[in-house]
Amino acid sequence: MDRTLTSFIAALRNAEVRISPAETLDAMSALELVGYRDREFLKNTLSLVLPKTPDEKETFSETFDSFFSFDDVSGTALPAEGTEEGEGGGGSGEGGEGQAEGEGSAGGGGGKGRKKKGKFAAEEEEEEDLGHGEMSEPQSALGKLLLQDSTVELTMRMADAAKAVQLDEIQVFTQKGLYTRKIMEEMGLTELQQEIGAAKQSRRVPDRRMAQELGKRRDALREQVRDYVERQFLLHADATGRRLREELLRKVKLSNVEHRNFRLIQEVVFRMAKKLVALHSRRRKVFKRGQLNVPRTLRHNMAYDGAIFDLRWKSVKVDRPKVFAICDVSGSVANYARFMLMFLYSLDEVMPKVRSFAFSSDLAEVTDLFERNHIEDAIAKTLRDYSGGSTDYGQAFADFRKNCMDDVDGRTTIIILGDARNNYGDPRTDILKEMYDRAKRVLWLNPEPRATWNMGDAEMRKYTAYVHQAEECNSLMHLERVVGNLLRTVA
Amino acid sequence: MTDIAQLTESVDTLKVSFEDHRYICSNQIATAVYLAFHLRKPVLIEGPPGVGKTELAKTTSELFALPLIRLQCYEGLDEAKAIYEWKYGKQLLYTQVLKETLDEVLQGAQGFAESVTRLHEFGDIFFSEEFLEPRPLLKALREEEGCVLLIDEVDKSDHEFESLLLEILSDFQVSIPEIGTVKAHRDPPIVFLTSNNTREISDALKRRCLHLYIPFPDADLEQRIIHARVPEIPPELRRQLVTFIQDLRELDLKKVPAISETIDWARTLLLLHTETLDPELVRETLNVILKFQEDIENVDAEIAALTSKAVKT
Repeated sequence: MDRTLTSFIAALRNAEVRISPAETLDAMSALELVGYRDREFLKNTLSLVLPKTPDEKETFSETFDSFFSFDDVSGTALPAEGTEEGEGGGGSGEGGEGQAEGEGSAGGGGGKGRKKKGKFAAEEEEEEDLGHGEMSEPQSALGKLLLQDSTVELTMRMADAAKAVQLDEIQVFTQKGLYTRKIMEEMGLTELQQEIGAAKQSRRVPDRRMAQELGKRRDALREQVRDYVERQFLLHADATGRRLREELLRKVKLSNVEHRNFRLIQEVVFRMAKKLVALHSRRRKVFKRGQLNVPRTLRHNMAYDGAIFDLRWKSVKVDRPKVFAICDVSGSVANYARFMLMFLYSLDEVMPKVRSFAFSSDLAEVTDLFERNHIEDAIAKTLRDYSGGSTDYGQAFADFRKNCMDDVDGRTTIIILGDARNNYGDPRTDILKEMYDRAKRVLWLNPEPRATWNMGDAEMRKYTAYVHQAEECNSLMHLERVVGNLLRTVA
Repeated sequence: MTDIAQLTESVDTLKVSFEDHRYICSNQIATAVYLAFHLRKPVLIEGPPGVGKTELAKTTSELFALPLIRLQCYEGLDEAKAIYEWKYGKQLLYTQVLKETLDEVLQGAQGFAESVTRLHEFGDIFFSEEFLEPRPLLKALREEEGCVLLIDEVDKSDHEFESLLLEILSDFQVSIPEIGTVKAHRDPPIVFLTSNNTREISDALKRRCLHLYIPFPDADLEQRIIHARVPEIPPELRRQLVTFIQDLRELDLKKVPAISETIDWARTLLLLHTETLDPELVRETLNVILKFQEDIENVDAEIAALTSKAVKT
């Protein structure tokens, strides 16, 4: 039973739910209490113990449903078939209520009809009875196997076939159909198909009946194989496929990333922004003045006979750095603007005090826009409203000075995202210098390779003099390095 | 204690007894309490504000007839306010007394070494339980019969405070450097932590807790909640106002109305002797369910449509 749990947890981990060994232990002790009997109860229980965020809960719910439904199907199918066989073997030969296709008459005159049974069971029973008469008919190995009702043997054949077609190498979900077919073929589908085809053509009623029955069982088998593949996929493939994609994405230039991979990038960027923030917000400062901390003062002066002369202050104050992020969204960086805005948005999401700005010539604050919209919308709206113009860094800096320079102080980090291509306008380095002097840190992330930083109308040489750090940044790998550097210097 | 044992026999009995205490809960919630009791694990409750996170802890304490000890978290909360504090005033007095008796203690001592030895022999109670002022967490551990400990809005506290909580959450003990480790009595407290998700709770904390997410209830559940909380309200009006609120939650609002707002609104309507919703009335009472002027203005245009929909169906 514990094996079921551990493989379920493996499947969860593949689905990106983080589960620690401690939580696995918790789940086990919870299971001892709850047991496997009540499915909903089990699901509720595990959903309390294993996933720890609303997102993870959703993933958990999906995984649980797909994972445990398989167990249900094979679990109930087994005993049900068993009883049918037993009754069929009893040879009572009754025609069920359910079948209206006239097979009841062929089923013999018995026709007592056990009405307690569901339609499905009755049908099965009827056909089982017919198959009984034609037992010698199926020639193909798979056909025989199917009519023998030997689930164990079928499963074993399935596993063998899966091994033969190397199911464990499945990588992306689009391969599921392919592998299902391969396994079926390995198990002897072709022969079976031929036999069914031939039997259908036959004039003898028993032959046709057999064909029908075989067809039904073949479909059921296919279903089982598909489930099997699905489960194997959940267990093995998803994570590796994902890792592969993530790895690739890291190296791909951000201008080339396709839209559908956006979400993944978003996650990576989000993680990075979070890393940055975690370190930032931990900085603390001891104050020399402020409120008197009475208990500590008393305690410290105890040694001096209770005479209070060494004062203690309520000393710690969390120092939350402010971040100003300025993003160029003009035509020259159109390909990267989307990505840079994404980084901006993620930063905004994880950090309490980020003010975001976008410009092509005039600077506009988009903090509020980001707060009120989803990432896709926010980016689209920003691009719609502010992009497209020709770049004017000078104007943007002037706007910045006019609106926000007063808010820049020694705790402020300014991040500028842009290519510094100023269309030969006045670069206004004086304002950048002012920002450099006032802020704790000025960072320039340039999407162009370093070699072209000073080619044409780019003003990077002038600007680099007034930033603490200028980095090339056009892939996630770059970004990761920048963030890493940043962390090191801050720490 | 037999009482509690009976109550927690199964999830269903728990659910029923919660309903007796006018707390209507889903299976998920009942399962959480069931597991919290049997596994002795803290429960971290997350969800939008006003869905009954704090209420769950309160009701549990009522249900089990255990005292509720509540710790409200805020920025800057530290161990002196959460776990323990020394009684400084008394400690100061004690030193004064000590000084006066010092002569007696040291009387006849030969040389410095002997004085020091005598001083050590003299029982020192400066840092002892006598002068310890227990704060909520320590109090909860010392409750003989067990208790329900509610650590409210843990996301408001600082990162460091979370780490402080880890020891008490995993082992039901706190370490006081001057005294040693204080362990919980026979029955450790049932711990609930609530969070509004204003910031991410650390993984270490999450790992030690069961995680319960309470979403907004569906229409059916919400009707039952209103029925339990405001039983006087006529069924038809109840249905209408729940439908209205459910639709309102679909809109793009700054703060969507929670269950507590629905309850308030039901009480308001009851007070006004309302029998059925109409747009005028809704407009006048909208400030009960919407807390931002901006939202009220945005919804204003929709009121007629929403009301007629709620009344009709």
